[in-house]
Amino acid sequence: MGSDENILEMRGITKVFPGVVANDNVDLDVRYGEVHTLLGENGAGKSTLVKILFGLYKADEGSILLRGQPIAVGSPSEAIASRIGMIHQHFMLVPTLTVAENVALGMTSSRRPFTDLDAVSRRVSEISEEHGLAVDPSVEVRRLAVGERQRVEIIKALYRDAELLVLDEPTAVLTPGEVDDLFVILRRMADAGRGLIFISHKLREVMSLSDRITVLRNGRVVGGTTPAQTSREELAQMMVGRTVRLTPEKPVLDDGPALLSVENLTVHGDRETVAVDDISFDVRSGEIFGIAGVSGNGQRELAEAIAGLRGVEPGSSIRLDGVDATGDDTRARRDRGLGFIPEERMRDGAIAEFTVSENLVLVDYGSDEFTSRGMLAFGAIGQHSRRLVDEFAVKTPGIDTPTSSLSGGNIQKVILARELSASPTVLLACQPTRGVDIGAAEYIHTRLIEQRSIGTATILISEDLDEVLGLADRIAVMYEGEIVAIVPAEEATRDKVGLLMAGVVDPAPQTNS
Amino acid sequence: MGDFFTLSVLVATAASAIRLATPYLLASLGETIGQRSGVLNLGVDGVMLLSAFFSYWTVLETGNLWLAVLVGLVTGLAVGVLYGVITVRLSATQGISGIGIFIFGLGLSDLLFRRQVGTPKPVRRLPNVDIPVLSDIPYLGEALFQRNLLTYLAFLLVPATALLLSRTTFGLNIRSVGENPQAADSLGVSVERTRFIAILMGNSMAGLAGAALVLQLGIFQPNLTQGLGFIAVALVYFGAWRPVGVMGGALLYGLVNATVLQWKALGIIPVSGSDLANMAPAVLTILALIVLARRVHAPAALTRPFTRH
Amino acid sequence: MKKQWKLIPSVLVMLGALALVGAACGDDAPATGSGEGGALRVAIVAPSASDDLAFSQSMVDSVNALERDVELSVTDGTFIVEDAAAAIRGYAEDGNDVVIAHGTQFGGSLMEIAPDFPDVTFVWGTASDTQGLDNVFAYAPAADEGGYVNGSIAASLSESGVIGVVGPIEAGDAVAYINGFEAGAIAGGASEVNITYTGSFGDVALAAEAAEAHLANKVDVLTGTAQMVVGAVGVAADAGVPWFGTQANQTSLAPDLVVASQVYHWEVVLEEMLTLRDSGVLGGQAFEINLANGGLVIEFNDAFELPAGVRDAADAMIEGITNGTVNTGS
Repeated sequence: MGSDENILEMRGITKVFPGVVANDNVDLDVRYGEVHTLLGENGAGKSTLVKILFGLYKADEGSILLRGQPIAVGSPSEAIASRIGMIHQHFMLVPTLTVAENVALGMTSSRRPFTDLDAVSRRVSEISEEHGLAVDPSVEVRRLAVGERQRVEIIKALYRDAELLVLDEPTAVLTPGEVDDLFVILRRMADAGRGLIFISHKLREVMSLSDRITVLRNGRVVGGTTPAQTSREELAQMMVGRTVRLTPEKPVLDDGPALLSVENLTVHGDRETVAVDDISFDVRSGEIFGIAGVSGNGQRELAEAIAGLRGVEPGSSIRLDGVDATGDDTRARRDRGLGFIPEERMRDGAIAEFTVSENLVLVDYGSDEFTSRGMLAFGAIGQHSRRLVDEFAVKTPGIDTPTSSLSGGNIQKVILARELSASPTVLLACQPTRGVDIGAAEYIHTRLIEQRSIGTATILISEDLDEVLGLADRIAVMYEGEIVAIVPAEEATRDKVGLLMAGVVDPAPQTNS
Repeated sequence: MGDFFTLSVLVATAASAIRLATPYLLASLGETIGQRSGVLNLGVDGVMLLSAFFSYWTVLETGNLWLAVLVGLVTGLAVGVLYGVITVRLSATQGISGIGIFIFGLGLSDLLFRRQVGTPKPVRRLPNVDIPVLSDIPYLGEALFQRNLLTYLAFLLVPATALLLSRTTFGLNIRSVGENPQAADSLGVSVERTRFIAILMGNSMAGLAGAALVLQLGIFQPNLTQGLGFIAVALVYFGAWRPVGVMGGALLYGLVNATVLQWKALGIIPVSGSDLANMAPAVLTILALIVLARRVHAPAALTRPFTRH
Repeated sequence: MKKQWKLIPSVLVMLGALALVGAACGDDAPATGSGEGGALRVAIVAPSASDDLAFSQSMVDSVNALERDVELSVTDGTFIVEDAAAAIRGYAEDGNDVVIAHGTQFGGSLMEIAPDFPDVTFVWGTASDTQGLDNVFAYAPAADEGGYVNGSIAASLSESGVIGVVGPIEAGDAVAYINGFEAGAIAGGASEVNITYTGSFGDVALAAEAAEAHLANKVDVLTGTAQMVVGAVGVAADAGVPWFGTQANQTSLAPDLVVASQVYHWEVVLEEMLTLRDSGVLGGQAFEINLANGGLVIEFNDAFELPAGVRDAADAMIEGITNGTVNTGS
């Protein structure tokens, strides 16, 4: 637990971007020795606030006190000099440089003008040992696993002797096991007297790590609390501003016939290596088949192979509703009842410059309903679009608004509306709620369960373990291109699936307690 | 063919290769520094034309070769300031800006030459300087250590550039802003400043390249470079963004050209095969690029202007 | 805010292009004092610089040497054929009486342009026929003649008996000159004539290294043709090796070592063409400049002292070629 003394006080911070008030009179204080969480939806103003602290943005109003002294941080180097460290949402590492070079970057060398990598390496090793952050200083960062890269980021901050450390969504790319390890390290750093600002929207993590929590919504502070005084549901309500049902309810259904059968599927990745290695599974009518795994273990290639966007190796077979579709193109698969919500929604799911209405008919514009005598039937298209916008509660000024000006959640609703309006028998949903606000995610989950009820066979590929655990009837875990296990929902626990995600196939012999 | 493998001819071929390679090497090393910082400069040829003209004009007017070298360097530096302002401060597209610099250099050097000089007049050429002891080595000494000072400088700049990039703090800054400028920025390294200085270094070396070209020849004429600067840019890719690789490329290019000329002079390549042989350097470069291409890793942020968002 | 600066590269390109145009039009001046009124309007489109001491300069000098009222326009440096074609058409549209397309490579374009302007006389060279067009005159130098003379003098100066030649691309008058030179040198007693075509009209550095390569192979007399030889002349001068020029008088490039230059005086045939035009014949004939009609002149450099008898032998040979008693071998 922290002391009573504040290392940081931010007072009345206001930052306005053209058209948006990103921070509106925000107060934040952080004590020595505490983990202080900033919680909020995407766009709530968390990142803006810490970027101001780190000198990447300049506040329009407000003041910052560091260790009781007012400071003006004009640039990252000034922040670093004031012993503020920041771990950014996206790794700030140069992949082609070694760990030691990444750490030394921006520091004054003792052997100017030359770098003194030996001295840096020694210090890195000391920090590694002291904090349990195992990493080899002489290795190029591009050869490191994601978890190791995270450690390099922390070492960078410690090397600069950061006393106030900002962590902007540091768990986004980690496996559950790596998250646990990270939290141990972070807790230890706080216990040593540092102040930590932890930014997240993952409620489970927030509850387990935080000492205090400040919730932001639409650029304003809407409340402060501690894990002991609150619950995940209450935090979600504070973030969104209304009651949210975090765990969707699923009716019990009887097993239906298999609508999608994948047999001996092998797919090559972009670099000609095997990305999906001889996997087989069925998805039945009325079932949500979850695919869990850390990003990059073949999920994307699997999805693209099912959608028809990527070629498969000889011997592979994909059957839609009992009929072989292995050789079909994307259009033929759609005609057989396949719906597809792609992972990269702005690249593969919608055309940013097109209007909402155009994106809603992107698949069917050529049908008799929307085209007559070679001309688009704007009346029918408009009617159809307005109906879908209403039905799926897409927040948009109008159906002729460019799709790019919508929020991530609403763009996803547009794609969902288009795909579901085609009444798919098989629905392939990839990362359907990533980067989507809680409200929209809740809605998307409800719709997926509705599809389940009317007999759609759904494949849900997600890196969000809570999502898979909450929705899926069976969970397949992918690791290095293979399905290492398929676990029924009733047997699936976070720990069990988490270990499988890390490639630990037989966790039984380990005695954990 | 036997005539070619006499020592005196081999020595002459090597000397010719080194002379031909010198301007390429200077320009490519400079371009390497710029590209490692994430800035592509397609205007090298234009910079070289301008610096070649001003160097030439300086010798013509003053007779002072070293002043001419300095003028070449300063010309490169000045164009570097212009290019830095355009691409770094104003974040303009690098590809088309470089072509702009090329056309600008081609046009201005042509215009100035017509107005100020007119008919080509020969000037003093860079004298060869014997390096004590080394130049006395039989044959090898004559081929390698009886060259002009700009040639020595060009080859000394190879380890110097390698050292700069791999061992200095500023080199670390250059490499990081060329790979991941956001990361460098987050650690307080000024991306703008680093790139600007890299551009100035690169363009100064292109300026020296222009001076070397014209002072080795002792004469200027419009479009003297004949696209040399573009080959220099290609050699950076050929050398996989490493000074030693770039030197290998420049030497290979010089050697192929020199050998082809020597073989033509000896009649090993008959007049009827002349046109075919002229393609040798280009064909060789393309082949080498095809072989190397799979292993080559370009700076990840090459041609991408940096903005903080 | 930064959007407006996106124009900067375009502005640079424009500036450069303007400078190029400015340089190209730099010679746009009346050739004679009374350029107005009844002056004949002549335009030249040339592939290299009009002061290149070689091919292009020879034509500009020749038009300036015409004893007529001429208003001359020049577009030079059009090494890209499409640019030249645009210039040729532009001059024809502008109402020039005579448009000189000074480059073999412009022939294709001329075949398309000439029929559109039946009142304009197009003069095309170097070429040996008019491609059947009656408003095109063709011209070519008998460059082998001067080459032969140069070659025979060169042979008499060479001690090693090995003579080097630096040529551009194996085409046009370069081939004629070089073949004539080779024949003359062999006839004069040289044991070997080594010929290098560098593959470029413009690459000065390559020409210089071609000369260096010759010097490494016992060559002690050099010649060369096209505008890139300025580099080779410098090498010859530094090595103290005699040089023979062609197309224009190259003495200024190496005042001590240029022995002689074969100079093109196109005005001889231009005058004939203009006279034909005055009488209503706009084209359809091919002309040749040679030693006999005074279109080719061997200009000796008096600063270079030739061994006794060599000059006389050369003069006798010129006489012989002129009256047909000496065969240049072509």
